[in-house]
Amino acid sequence: MIRFLASLTFRAAVVLSGAALATFALLWHAPGDPALAIAMARYDALATTDVIAIVRAEAGLDVGFWPAFLAWVGPLLVGDFGQSSVTGHDVLPEVMTALSYTMPLALAGLLIGLAISLPLAIIATRRPRGWLDRFAVAIASIGAAIPAYWLGLLLILLFAVHLGWLPAMGARTSAHIVLPALTLGLGVAASLTRILRSGILEARDQPFLPAFTRRGVAAGGIERDHVAPHAAIPVITVFGLELAFLLEGAVMVEVIFARPGLGSFLVNAIEARDFPKVQAVVVLAAILFVTVNLLIDLLYRTLDPRIGERDA
Amino acid sequence: MRSVYLLAMAFVVLAVAGPWLAPHDPAQINIPHRLSPPSAEWVLGTDALGRDILSRLLHGARWSLGLAFVISVIGLCIGTLAGLVAALGGKLADWLVMRTTDTFLAFPDLIAAVVIAGVLGAGTTSLIFALTVTGWMRYARVARGIGLSLQSQGYVVQARLAGLSPFAIAWWHYLPSLLPSLAVVWTGMFARAILGISALGFLGFGVQPPMPEWGTMLLDARIHMRSTPLQMIWPGMAVVICVLAINLTGDALRDSLAEQERRS
Amino acid sequence: MLNVDGISVRGGTRLRLQDVSFTLARGQTLAVVGESGAGKSTLIDAILGLVPCHSGHVTWDAAPVRDCRPALVMQEPRSAFNPRMSLRRSVMEPLVAKRITPDQQHLDQLCHGLEIPPDLLDRRPSEVSIGQAQRVGILRALIAAPPLVLFDEPLSALDAVTQKHSARLIAQMQRAQGFAALIVTHDLGYAAAFADHIAVLRAGRVEELSTAPAFVDAPASAYGRRLRDAAFALGALEHVA
Repeated sequence: MIRFLASLTFRAAVVLSGAALATFALLWHAPGDPALAIAMARYDALATTDVIAIVRAEAGLDVGFWPAFLAWVGPLLVGDFGQSSVTGHDVLPEVMTALSYTMPLALAGLLIGLAISLPLAIIATRRPRGWLDRFAVAIASIGAAIPAYWLGLLLILLFAVHLGWLPAMGARTSAHIVLPALTLGLGVAASLTRILRSGILEARDQPFLPAFTRRGVAAGGIERDHVAPHAAIPVITVFGLELAFLLEGAVMVEVIFARPGLGSFLVNAIEARDFPKVQAVVVLAAILFVTVNLLIDLLYRTLDPRIGERDA
Repeated sequence: MRSVYLLAMAFVVLAVAGPWLAPHDPAQINIPHRLSPPSAEWVLGTDALGRDILSRLLHGARWSLGLAFVISVIGLCIGTLAGLVAALGGKLADWLVMRTTDTFLAFPDLIAAVVIAGVLGAGTTSLIFALTVTGWMRYARVARGIGLSLQSQGYVVQARLAGLSPFAIAWWHYLPSLLPSLAVVWTGMFARAILGISALGFLGFGVQPPMPEWGTMLLDARIHMRSTPLQMIWPGMAVVICVLAINLTGDALRDSLAEQERRS
Repeated sequence: MLNVDGISVRGGTRLRLQDVSFTLARGQTLAVVGESGAGKSTLIDAILGLVPCHSGHVTWDAAPVRDCRPALVMQEPRSAFNPRMSLRRSVMEPLVAKRITPDQQHLDQLCHGLEIPPDLLDRRPSEVSIGQAQRVGILRALIAAPPLVLFDEPLSALDAVTQKHSARLIAQMQRAQGFAALIVTHDLGYAAAFADHIAVLRAGRVEELSTAPAFVDAPASAYGRRLRDAAFALGALEHVA
């Protein structure tokens, strides 16, 4: 177990280093002169050649790729994400503020997704291939094909423009979170329904279940004690994927609903060419992602001792 | 099952023949008739510049489906190559390739695509680059997984003993076994690319106006949501139907493969 | 000449082979016998370099064995062929790898010797019988005239009648081609009838190495004697003794 843990952690460290390097390399090789962009952002028309040179030295852009990379990664290891190249403020507090908007949204989306998919999957699998089941599968298939931004626009059209029930843009009141969360939640529900359904069906197919029925174990007990844990394993795997979906969905949804948060923060940072901010978001996303996948690997191991590592 | 394949074929035909089927020039600006409702002349109405929406959708199919095809095929080639190198190239190559794959999987892929396309600047080339870089990993994992399971097959051992080069072994013995599974992955990645292209277009990082790409059209339509909501429905509908058709084709393909496997 | 010099192979925590040594010259046949799990298949893998030896080494004429392009006849005859290819394509593979253009006359001669009808090669592995697949497997092994051919339980997948037939064909081909043959088998009767030498493998060690007649008369080891007596009891050695 300890060896397993060590190898997992080592792998995560390698992957994160690679991710940091890839991110930095992309931004380093981005077209355009970053020093010029910073100078323009700060001093506008006053950005002369001299000013640009000073900015370049200040931002550590004149030292070459590897020194610049190390100068960025070093502080990163102790949680210092650097300063915005436009405003000069520390990036981390701003990212945290953005995160404080995104987190509730993602959580609400996940809860809505679960609230829809769990009952739907359970009812659907009562009678596999029955009309309810087909309905659930159809809904899930269509849901998986609907892009989040279009769904968001449709919801705005219906609930904000047409019916006037809910506010659409911004995040001023708590009612503002309803439509974005619903957009996100419906998307989550589509993929979760599919996975929960096949998870439950697969667990029911386990060869040992008929033996329980023959021995007279109550149906409810079988479902709870034997079907549920088996269905849990694929569901846990999927939470890793769902997390990606939630993060991506949040990015799109925040842009559509003009909501502050990580998505708007990222898109604004890209447009302002404020690379320290972009790097911070990307690296944070990678850390979150890798950590969650690490935990999933561990949970997997605890739930099913037969599995050493996922698809290794 | 058959009907699913037919639907998918219909989209291929549309993507190829779309421009000839279009009743109007998709770039023809017609200010007096801007934001017209659907009519006999303009079947799906016109946009803010009076351009025919149906014609723009049909031309847009070439952008959305064509680019998605290019992206998913490049990803297929890169991913398969990486997976084969991992499976055939020995322990070190395997470790390197798989950690690289993990690294690229460490980002939620649409976010990575947004960052790459955004940082490199809007345009078709950076769009293709962004979605390819973030879309080859699943092929690599599948190719490696099947590749490793082939390694102990008698005929692969025989080929190695005969002194066949790794390239020849990959080409003659691995690729034919990989293709069915890769085809299933490909349908998923094709659908993903369509969604990615339109998402990036919608964010303004993808195909640039006046090109009639579906995501970009949606971005235009959004401004006039209150006055002409229908204008916003059509491009989204096009994306949904395409992705749905492709996903269903992929499901059908996977089922028939599983069926074949069970019978043999 | 094949020279196996003190090889040990590790599998997990235990040793699958321990200090195994022997030599095998061209034109000679060595049968390796033993119970299942004795390390017979590991021995083949080690000789072919498919598993690493953690000590000792294997050479052919003082060079690595793989350099002489040894051939292997597999236990499961069909598994040696890619199910998607015609048998002909698979058979030609050793020649393709060596960039030799196939010689039709040579092929016809081998086919004749192995009693393979000419049109059989155009079928797929699933379309021929196990016995036919076995003979095509031998054809494939011999097509590039290797100096060393390894047989992994060549008879175990076949029925009794086909077994005798195959055993005779292998012996004939060896007389004609003059390769060194290493036959791994659990069939002592077969080993005694067709091999020049018999090596008894037990738990990864060579218990004894004798000429075939000497082994049938008087095995040198207690374990060898037990094996021989068991085979006598089954009537497997009657035609030899």
